Amino acid sequence: MSVVLTWIVFLPMLFAGVLGLFRVRHTVLRAGAMLSALLVLVLTLLAAMQFDPQAEGMQFVRHLPWIFQYGITYYLGLDALSLVILLVIALLMPLLYLYMWDNSTSGYWYNMLLLQTGVTGAVLALDMVLFYLFYETMLLPIFIMIGRYGHDWNHAHAMKILLFTVLGSMAMLFAILYLGYAHYNFYGNWSFAWHDLAKLPLDPQTATWLAAGFLLAFAIKIPLLGFHTWMASAYASAPTPALVILSAIMAKLGIYGLWRFGYGIFAHILHLYEPILLTLSLVGMLYYAIHAITQNDLRKMFAYSSGSHLSLIALGVVLANLYTWSGSLYLIATHALASAGIFLMIGLIHQRTNTVQIDALGGIASVAPRFTFFFTFFALSIVGVPGTGGFVAELLIIIGAFSIHPWLGVATATTMLAAMLFVFWMLQRTLFGAPAPSVTTFADLSRRETVMLAPLVLLLLITGIAPSLFAPIFTPQIQEMLLQFIHAAGGAS
Amino acid sequence: MNSSLPSLIVLLPFFGAGVMGFMYLFVPTGRDLRRFYVAVGIGAPLLAALLGLIVVGEMLTLPDSASIASPLYSWIAIGSFEIDVAFVVDQLSAVMLLVVTLIGSLIHIYAVGYMWDDQGFGKFFAYFNFFLGAMLLLILADNPILLFIGWELVGLASYLLIGFYHHDTANITAANKAFLLNRVGDFGFVSGLGLLFVLQNQSGFDFVAIFSGLGGIDATMLSLVGLLLFVGAMGKSAQIPLYVWLPDAMAGPTPVSALIHAATMVTAGVYMVARFSPLYNRIPDVGLFIAGIGAASALLAALFASWQNDIKKILAYSTMSQLGYMFIAVGLGEYSNGIFHLAAHAFFKALLFMGAGAVIIALHHEQDIFKMGGLGSRLPAVRRTMLVATLAITGIPIFAGFFSKDAILAYAFASGHTTIWAVGVVVAFLTAYYMFRLYFVVFVAPSQQSSQSSPLVPLPRSMVWPLFVLAAGSLFLGFWNLPEAYGGGTWFSHELHLADHEAHLRFAEEYVLDGFNVLVALLGIAMAYRKFVRPAHPLNPPVHRLAWQSALANTLYIDTLYDRLIVRPLRGLSDLQDRLIDPKIIDGSLRGLVALYRGVAAQSARLQNGNLRWYALTFLLAVSGISLYLLIAIGGAS
Repeated sequence: MSVVLTWIVFLPMLFAGVLGLFRVRHTVLRAGAMLSALLVLVLTLLAAMQFDPQAEGMQFVRHLPWIFQYGITYYLGLDALSLVILLVIALLMPLLYLYMWDNSTSGYWYNMLLLQTGVTGAVLALDMVLFYLFYETMLLPIFIMIGRYGHDWNHAHAMKILLFTVLGSMAMLFAILYLGYAHYNFYGNWSFAWHDLAKLPLDPQTATWLAAGFLLAFAIKIPLLGFHTWMASAYASAPTPALVILSAIMAKLGIYGLWRFGYGIFAHILHLYEPILLTLSLVGMLYYAIHAITQNDLRKMFAYSSGSHLSLIALGVVLANLYTWSGSLYLIATHALASAGIFLMIGLIHQRTNTVQIDALGGIASVAPRFTFFFTFFALSIVGVPGTGGFVAELLIIIGAFSIHPWLGVATATTMLAAMLFVFWMLQRTLFGAPAPSVTTFADLSRRETVMLAPLVLLLLITGIAPSLFAPIFTPQIQEMLLQFIHAAGGAS
Repeated sequence: MNSSLPSLIVLLPFFGAGVMGFMYLFVPTGRDLRRFYVAVGIGAPLLAALLGLIVVGEMLTLPDSASIASPLYSWIAIGSFEIDVAFVVDQLSAVMLLVVTLIGSLIHIYAVGYMWDDQGFGKFFAYFNFFLGAMLLLILADNPILLFIGWELVGLASYLLIGFYHHDTANITAANKAFLLNRVGDFGFVSGLGLLFVLQNQSGFDFVAIFSGLGGIDATMLSLVGLLLFVGAMGKSAQIPLYVWLPDAMAGPTPVSALIHAATMVTAGVYMVARFSPLYNRIPDVGLFIAGIGAASALLAALFASWQNDIKKILAYSTMSQLGYMFIAVGLGEYSNGIFHLAAHAFFKALLFMGAGAVIIALHHEQDIFKMGGLGSRLPAVRRTMLVATLAITGIPIFAGFFSKDAILAYAFASGHTTIWAVGVVVAFLTAYYMFRLYFVVFVAPSQQSSQSSPLVPLPRSMVWPLFVLAAGSLFLGFWNLPEAYGGGTWFSHELHLADHEAHLRFAEEYVLDGFNVLVALLGIAMAYRKFVRPAHPLNPPVHRLAWQSALANTLYIDTLYDRLIVRPLRGLSDLQDRLIDPKIIDGSLRGLVALYRGVAAQSARLQNGNLRWYALTFLLAVSGISLYLLIAIGGAS
């Protein structure tokens, strides 16, 4: 079973290689891509069924020497944290291919295949150099998709996201290399495996600087307040499938990195950064939501919406107790589902009306009831209405915050007010009122589009109605991670 | 005792909503499914009502103060946060269950006639059933988290139904306002729950466990919890300062106003306080605050109602005012009186709204009472039932409102809260005035040109006979809780088993107080009669000459105030972020960095000047630098 992760990571890339080698037609290409996505989904579900929530540490571990002079290894492993993100990726890809089904630009498809390998690799890699490699690889397809197939001002916006992210990644790369070297210094052999690096007895000053390198990379990726100015423009320019990956998965990888490596390696020094991270995420949550109010571009509006939720997830990670960590992990999944839904539907609006400007829309409810239902559903999921998974996640984070301090709890509870600031006004101007000229021929959801969106709706409902189906998968390991973190943090002080 | 019936009662309407919603969305348009929708849409609430009667009957046969539990499944269990989806029928939820399912069924039946020609017939009943399910979830929940889920879902249903006529943006604005203000309340509510969860240190977060652990909690913190929970009630039950959504909510179809915004959802705040009565009993100061807010809201709303011309808005403010009475009751610790007034009010206010809806339909969607007039002879059934409801809300003896309202006021007087009592009496006077103003202008005063000229739309039977059922309720319900002074035994209050505070009046005092109230009510009626019936000439809409009159007619410009204080600053801030903070300050400082980098690059480029000796010099400097570093760093380490 230990090869299953390798298959999950490299299957899409393999398909891209084979399909590209034969320069296949569009119909074959899309069938091949869909096949690879479904195979990965099946493998992922198999892995999830074999996954033992009670076991400690990583499972399905594949640890092979790679560049052994420098102790760089091929090291993949799965725990509850990566399992949740892996499931989300595996589930979203077939839906994205359904969205792209009639798009005959081959470059699009190859990029998506490579992107899947990039993001899955980043989520499963446990060797820091390998992680860095995937972390950078996933950026390239995004860069190409925004630059080549994107909307307005795409070149400038592609450049902006690239420069921002690379800036962060360089800082992280430096820190990674330093850590490997430090390992050599202390123990006489090189290693970049994260659990080895976590044990390094670094002096506080060095650790502080190295942590800064990691945090910068993740702060940009999430993005935390102040590191976010690439976000709205990149979201506005990205073609829909890339946009869904950006919001639903890549942003979460910033959180994942902070969680796994920030908290995994720098547990003893992170308390220095806690006030900053706490402030940025708490303020960011409201700042982004307020910023979204007056956006006229639907993609930008939900870019800020995404930023607001990611700040909440980051807040949950920073607060670090059982409830907030469970809530953050739950929100990683449910927000991915909801934002995938909303961005796919914004893409559908764009296909039908050639615009995503709110003031050019209006009255869709009069012509397309199914579309209206699904769109409203996703919007309400983002608001966190009970019955959808987002509510459970927010509730857990709020309760966790209260158990730290009442006023922190009240401050966190303002997330209940964040999304509603812009969502309802947006719904009013997009869906309701008299039909705008642009929507008079607006077609309701087709069968394929319904099939594409229905799984998201169902999952959001199930995660909201019966969270007890999912919580046992991750709570034992969250508890374990928390103990380790507290132990490491306490050991230093 | 366990039973699966309560779970079934909650699930039935949700199931109906799901089926109807699915049919509405996925069956090709052009097929008339209205009979199917009627069967499901009416069937679910009727069945729920029937099962409700069975369950309550079962509960009454149990030994004293026992309840029927209905655990369904574990919702979540993380750490000590263990929440079950479980329902419970005890005395309090039994009353609510009966009120909601019985009145809900009647209004569903009424809505068949009201909505018959509407394009969105199926959608309406899907939403309506969804609301009923959410309301039952709220009432029957055995823990506050589940209650909160129902609490938010009824708000969602309310949002969807207020904005039901979505072609008109004004309706959507009203719907948004309702959701937003409710969410502000819910923010308080959820904070209260979060705090309560953290404060109590045993496992289990159902009501029984919470109340048994209250003793160990610091009183100050408990007060904070009580206040925060009440913030939720301010939103849901339209009390000061979160009430402004309720009058606008009248944009929804009239059955919605009757069911959601009069009889059931808006009373959820009162129910919540009564449900948490063991908690509120420990914090009488917060209770007094609640009563104060209730009294202020009752007075303000009654004043507003006296100056409105829109029949539904008069009733909306009247609802807010009556809710104020209920909060006086539960705030002062007379929970069963509050719940009793809630039940009585559900009957007569639903009836008033349904009568108003009948008038509106008959007059081709006219809502201005000053364009009606003289309808008494043309709509006799509606007039008669409306008169019963009007007498009931006014508090004329033997009608339900007389017993339920006077009990609240008598208690306030007996427990020494004379200010609140006095405000209550003033509100009673205003209530009599504005309700009879409505009644006289619509039914009795000489008819208007506009309403006379056009023939009335005939009312379907399903819109008329529910009125009589409700009228019977408004007439006889009071005897259920007949005070001892009138030879009764306040059976209702005894059955409820709520932790009421005790305060006793002598019978003579009670007769005097009640007599005084009736006198005040009659005074209000007389004043309305003098103003609106006596003048022989046709009525004109009132002209507001004085500043305070037009201020009241414009509801004191509170909406404008909120707009200026909250909405506009938020949009302004959003704009500021978009135009200044993000592009200029954040990106600007980054651009500064880039410029710095470019400057350094340009400077370094000067080094490449083609001068060989210059290159040799830098080469030499570099080599010696590296040697030095090697010597110190590596040589020194070994």
